[in-house]
Amino acid sequence: MPDPTNAELVARWKDEQAPLLPLLHDFHERDGHLSEEALRAVSKGLRIPIADLFGTVTFYHHFSRDVGGLDRPRVCNGPVCTMRGTEVLIASLRAAGHDPHVMPCPGRCDQPVPVIHGGTVLTGRTASTLVSGPSPLPPPAPAGVEECVFAGIRNPDRATLAGYRSDGGYQGLTRAVTTMSPGEVIDVIDASGLAGRGGAGFPTGRKWRAVADAPGGPKTIVCNADEGEPGCFKDRVLMDHDPHGTIEGMALAAYATGAVRGFIYLRYEYPETFDILEGAIAEAEAAGLLGDGILGTDFAFDLMVRRGAGAYICGEETSLLNSLEGTHPFPRNRPPFPVTHGYENLPTVVNNVETLASAPPIVVHGADWYRGLGLGDHAGTKVISLSGDIARPGNYEVPIGLPLRDLLHVLAGGPLPGRTIQAVTMAGLSGGFLAGADLDVTLDEPSIRSKGSFLGAGGIMVFDDSRDMIRVTRESMEFFAEESCGKCFPCRIGTQRLVERLEGDGPRSVEAWVDEVTDLNEVMKKTSACGLGQAAPLLTESLIRYFPDRVRRHVEKG
Amino acid sequence: MKQNGSPSKNGTALTLTLDGEKVTFSRGETLYEVAERHGREIPTLCYDPRLEPFGGCRLCVVELEGARNPVASCTMEAQPGMRVRTRTAALEVQRRILMEMVASENRDTDVDPMHGYASQEMADLLDRYDARTGRFAGATSGTSRPDDDNPFIKRDYENCISCYRCVRVCAEQEGDYAISVMNRGFHTQITTEFGGLLKDSACTFCGQCIQTCPTGALGDLKALANKDVPGETETTRTVCPYCGVGCSVDIMTRGEKIVGILPAMDGPANEGSLCVKGQFAFDFVGHPDRLCTPFLRDEASGELRPASWDEALDFAAGKLRKVVKDHGRRAVYGIASGRAPHEAAYMMQRFIRAGLGTNHIDNCSRA
Repeated sequence: MPDPTNAELVARWKDEQAPLLPLLHDFHERDGHLSEEALRAVSKGLRIPIADLFGTVTFYHHFSRDVGGLDRPRVCNGPVCTMRGTEVLIASLRAAGHDPHVMPCPGRCDQPVPVIHGGTVLTGRTASTLVSGPSPLPPPAPAGVEECVFAGIRNPDRATLAGYRSDGGYQGLTRAVTTMSPGEVIDVIDASGLAGRGGAGFPTGRKWRAVADAPGGPKTIVCNADEGEPGCFKDRVLMDHDPHGTIEGMALAAYATGAVRGFIYLRYEYPETFDILEGAIAEAEAAGLLGDGILGTDFAFDLMVRRGAGAYICGEETSLLNSLEGTHPFPRNRPPFPVTHGYENLPTVVNNVETLASAPPIVVHGADWYRGLGLGDHAGTKVISLSGDIARPGNYEVPIGLPLRDLLHVLAGGPLPGRTIQAVTMAGLSGGFLAGADLDVTLDEPSIRSKGSFLGAGGIMVFDDSRDMIRVTRESMEFFAEESCGKCFPCRIGTQRLVERLEGDGPRSVEAWVDEVTDLNEVMKKTSACGLGQAAPLLTESLIRYFPDRVRRHVEKG
Repeated sequence: MKQNGSPSKNGTALTLTLDGEKVTFSRGETLYEVAERHGREIPTLCYDPRLEPFGGCRLCVVELEGARNPVASCTMEAQPGMRVRTRTAALEVQRRILMEMVASENRDTDVDPMHGYASQEMADLLDRYDARTGRFAGATSGTSRPDDDNPFIKRDYENCISCYRCVRVCAEQEGDYAISVMNRGFHTQITTEFGGLLKDSACTFCGQCIQTCPTGALGDLKALANKDVPGETETTRTVCPYCGVGCSVDIMTRGEKIVGILPAMDGPANEGSLCVKGQFAFDFVGHPDRLCTPFLRDEASGELRPASWDEALDFAAGKLRKVVKDHGRRAVYGIASGRAPHEAAYMMQRFIRAGLGTNHIDNCSRA
């Protein structure tokens, strides 16, 4: 079949919801890059000013403007992968005749080192050993530990509709739409204590109620599957092995709030997940679980998947909404919040994958069941993505309140032989480091926040005593500098200045160096417009707190 | 325009607490607007009152009781009962550090005021916060375009602070969408479509981007050509003669020379907007090619020759009288030039109407 023409591609998308990203992807995949001619066709077809469209395309890491750009291998330079051989792999790819370049963490910290080549993710250490394969399943849960979102994920047919249903899937949605009012669904979620598992921890029931109560419509459910935080790869596993869990959660959210349309905003770096989700949605539509007349009622909900194009900030919910709408993905000013002014400025739920996937079991088993999964006063569970210098990296669904050391040493087998744990990150990179006695925290926000960090999306990277914490911090800060959107001054300038100081530039006396870095940290934390700029300085703050001697050697050595 | 302190729907005044003082506000006002109305002089760099609040520079942050972090006053709508502090010691330290950071990314912090209307904003704030300390030294941001050889707009992005006022004024005020933001973070760059020159873009050279730029990264090349003209700059408020809109302008002069045009931000017809002609087309006034005497065409040779005013006026009057005598007063039609002063245009129509008795009078600016 001949390639579709420009006009055919535009015609395919121009009357669809959120058309810009899928239309750009179609051109990108047809041509291997985004040519000027393609952008002019998109500009005309979607009536977007050409200068705006050009600027917006340059915002995304993975849209290539150069001929052949899509076929250049992109190699992860995240903090875990650089320890595992990013440079070796790049050299090996060059020797094999490729022209590789680096990309920020694509969420494969459990399988270093990943490469995106064309539309495929491969992992390995050398060009000749790169393989593609499914996301690793979570390790089996220890006896006596009850899971929520991972409870059925290891069943071999779980990703199919039949397999999901044989596990009791869609019972929650069925119960909700046939026996419960929308308000009763919200009451259950509210009572369960479920809170946003993407990192912000906002109570899910309250969010759903705010959207249900908000005037105006159509209302929208957005699943934030832009899992861009380095060290986080939990949503990928949930969607790859249990796509219907997320779909059912979205349908429940739609029923509870009165939403009629939904988007899964999926990060570019998960191409296989895109196919899995599209297949699962088609299955659910065919079975009357999505679309019009769901389960024989008058409840209707249309679900679409939209792929990002490589921008960490698009995991920030208002950037995500701008990206969906096809505008420049700067974060929006809040208030107003998405619950009243979300997609197309209409009431919108934006929930993380894990949050949404938690909803169906909660509706089936009840709020008390979910609350009881946590330890002590803490409600529920949290999936932790564990990677780095640890015996068994992977995803662990743990009771909230579990001691961090239990996760590290009991569940995950502790450090590598002969090594000790020097530091771990929290919230992927956003929580900075914990080290020393502060590794005694329990995995819940109050405990971790008391140490100046936060649990966030639950990515934990482990660095043992062989690692240079200045280098780790510098590479981590380079990520934030690369991903800073450029909208607000403290983040745009501050991340750059912190990288320079970690590279060895800046004042030559420790006092002046610490003084400058501390001022940058404070201003970024206090005045940045969104979580990126507020969180990035936790890295340098915790570096100075836990490793003052290493900082002194760094500054004095120059 | 908003009415200050207008009552809410149920008739009671909306109030909040500003630095301990109870003040009224109207629905829809931002904290910044309320504070400015009460003389607070909150620093800003990304703010232009004509544009949608952006929240980028973060200098306008204020402390709001109950909020974890300071909030940007420019984007935060005032709500009844808010307790706001606009100039605590902590805020002033944060603002100073922010200004030190801003200074660190630019090659120059001081530019000639002839760059444009807002060009001194950054330098003024650096002085106010005593922020020329050299702290946070590092890479400078932005890549300038000295190759953009348009005659109007200097594009020196090494002095850009990425406030995006130029991009926003182009879109929101002009509707041209000629420029946009490319790349991310510290590599952010103001660009046209595909990074080209302004003349190949949708730019209409209205100059609005220049006049809102707070650092002189964008500069008025016509005015900058006169930056070394001796004398103090005086400004004279007038109305642009080029068309019928009636945009207010402030003409800058040094001695007898027009050295530049500033848009009048309080001009009732334009609120600061101008077009390429009103903004840039003034140098004909003192141009060496201008005629200094009348010319008459020699009947025999057909060549133009300099003539005295009396000779020329007598000649023109005689011919006009003859046309009226031979063909009637309606055979005469006068058109005044948009480049003539308003006073001359007025005299012209008086002359045609009262002098020749016809209302066949127009002006080339009646576009």
